[in-house]
Amino acid sequence: MKTEEYDVVVVGGGPGGSTAATLVARHGHRVLLLEKETFPRYQIGESLLPATVHGICRLLGVEQEVERAGFTVKRGGSFRWGTNPLPWNFLFALSPEMSGPTSFAYQVERMKFDDILLRNAAARGVEVRENASVGEVLSDQERVRGVRYTGASGQVREVRARHVIDASGNRTRISGAAGGERVYSEHFRNLALFGYFEGGGRLPAPDSGNILCAAFDEGWLWYIPLSDTLTSIGAVISHTAAQEVQGDQDAREKALLGFIDRCEIVRDLLGDATRVTTGTYGELRVRKDYSYANTRFWRPGMALVGDAACFIDPVFSTGVHLATYGGLLAARSINSVLDGSVPEDRAFTEFEGRYRREYGVFYEFLSAFYDMQASEDTYFWKAKKVTLFDASAMEAFVALVGGVASGEAALTDAPALTARFAGSSRALGAAVEATGSMQTESGERMNHLFGVPAVASVMQEMNDIQRRGVLGRATAESPLLRGGLVPSADGLSWTDPETDPRTDPA
Amino acid sequence: MERTPLTPERIRADVADVLSVPQDEITDEVQLIDRGLDSIRLMTLIERWRAEGADVELAELAERPTVADWVAKLTR
Ligand SMILES: Cc1cc2nc3c(=O)[nH]c(=O)nc-3n(C[C@H](O)[C@H](O)[C@H](O)COP(=O)(O)OP(=O)(O)OC[C@H]3O[C@@H](n4cnc5c(N)ncnc54)[C@H](O)[C@@H]3O)c2cc1C
Repeated sequence: MKTEEYDVVVVGGGPGGSTAATLVARHGHRVLLLEKETFPRYQIGESLLPATVHGICRLLGVEQEVERAGFTVKRGGSFRWGTNPLPWNFLFALSPEMSGPTSFAYQVERMKFDDILLRNAAARGVEVRENASVGEVLSDQERVRGVRYTGASGQVREVRARHVIDASGNRTRISGAAGGERVYSEHFRNLALFGYFEGGGRLPAPDSGNILCAAFDEGWLWYIPLSDTLTSIGAVISHTAAQEVQGDQDAREKALLGFIDRCEIVRDLLGDATRVTTGTYGELRVRKDYSYANTRFWRPGMALVGDAACFIDPVFSTGVHLATYGGLLAARSINSVLDGSVPEDRAFTEFEGRYRREYGVFYEFLSAFYDMQASEDTYFWKAKKVTLFDASAMEAFVALVGGVASGEAALTDAPALTARFAGSSRALGAAVEATGSMQTESGERMNHLFGVPAVASVMQEMNDIQRRGVLGRATAESPLLRGGLVPSADGLSWTDPETDPRTDPA
Repeated sequence: MERTPLTPERIRADVADVLSVPQDEITDEVQLIDRGLDSIRLMTLIERWRAEGADVELAELAERPTVADWVAKLTR
């Protein structure tokens, strides 16, 4: 068997894998990316956030190409959620006056978006091999050494590398090689049933490109305008509804139309739109939509990125952000190790620490957000009430994601966590109330929402990534984690703040 | 890390920095929104000043974005 050698092998060509691979290649290292499918391929996860569009895409050098693709412009999310019977907005701009050049994201057909990112990786020096399915990881006591894969011709090949990144998504076969296991959150075990419609209505301008998330008794629906006429619609419901949604296409259609019928705002918007029944978008798909995280994100020679590492409920459109953020962190760590500036242990402790922190702040926000709508009336919403969370399950999961940071200490005991999440939920509810409905004067101003600490925490790193894009250079930063590292000037590796000349305020 | 207290000069310098304009264009009364202040830049400034110990809310600074007003709020 012929064995090849690379600096880095990336498994999976989704947004997480493409990001990691491109950013390592940008530092001149030899990168091989192995992708099982032949692109373009279908994927769910169509609503993006500004940090991905203006931060990551800029770092990847693909921002203009993404702009030229003509995706629907999204200025935020609209929610029929909580006590307000009318939808309200969570916009990316603080106010209309302060709406800057980066206060928007896109709704994307992932077949197109992921393909642009993967072709860009190849154009920037990554060797991309499609139709190459990785079956196992090569390792010894000390570290992971490479992978074994089956190529297009059916031939089994080995590749050795100093670092392997598993970015092979939620059905990864190799994440266990990092030495940990996947742990699910007890409270966010949902299912999603989704399909596509032609001719659905739009929210009034300027919100017509927004994602709409609308709660109903059994769960919630997303309504994503992918083009002027094509709409992605999905129902997120309890895992106990599996029977109802798992059947054949006819049974699925009946179930989805039923959910739509019981969710007034989506029913009305959809009007007499017709469901797409042919081609890639003609299928009604069902996906497990469980939130989870792995107990280990890395071991020497290997790191997990994207859905292979962790996944959180899609209500805030966070999946692609978390995947590309993980890709950026992994690339920084690998670049630092390969250029000899930071020891592997320290570089990847920073990777894992920041990644878990990001997941943890989203988990708190998610818990508070669901709690705003929670009630004891239906199974789905009762399971989302933080005061009814099973204490030991909550403790275990929060400890896994790194604990919720409260001042100096990490919070992991159940009563304190419940109090904390309930407080965040109240603060969020009050901010939503003060903001008011969409298409009103106050509903255009996000100062209340951005002022909620749980919201500020989720925006911190996303803002930082974007700021690098906007300001075109790095500003001196303090470490995010105690005793931690800071991004280098180009944003693609780590430096020690103790020795970094930029931290001198002069 | 050394901390420089928030002085009017420091505030003006930071504003000029995130707006990428010369400091002398940032007079006390100039409307910062007209000079390109947007959400991401405002949040950058707030994070920076909070790191220096400033106790200030986003909404307070968003209300009247001029150096004169911010100096009054940040150095009180
Ligand atoms: C119901 C639902 C709704 C969602 N909505 C949103 C949303 O609105 N916005 C959002 O940002 N996110 C959303 N997400 C999340 C989003 O789908 C994922 O988080 C995102 O696609 C993760 O990217 P990734 O790069 O980690 O993995 P993927 O995009 O899954 O890419 C993994 C790649 O690895 C390849 N691969 C797999 N196995 C192998 C192998 N053995 N060898 C080689 N290659 C392999 C696959 O073919 C695939 O191309 C949603 C998720 C769900 C379940």
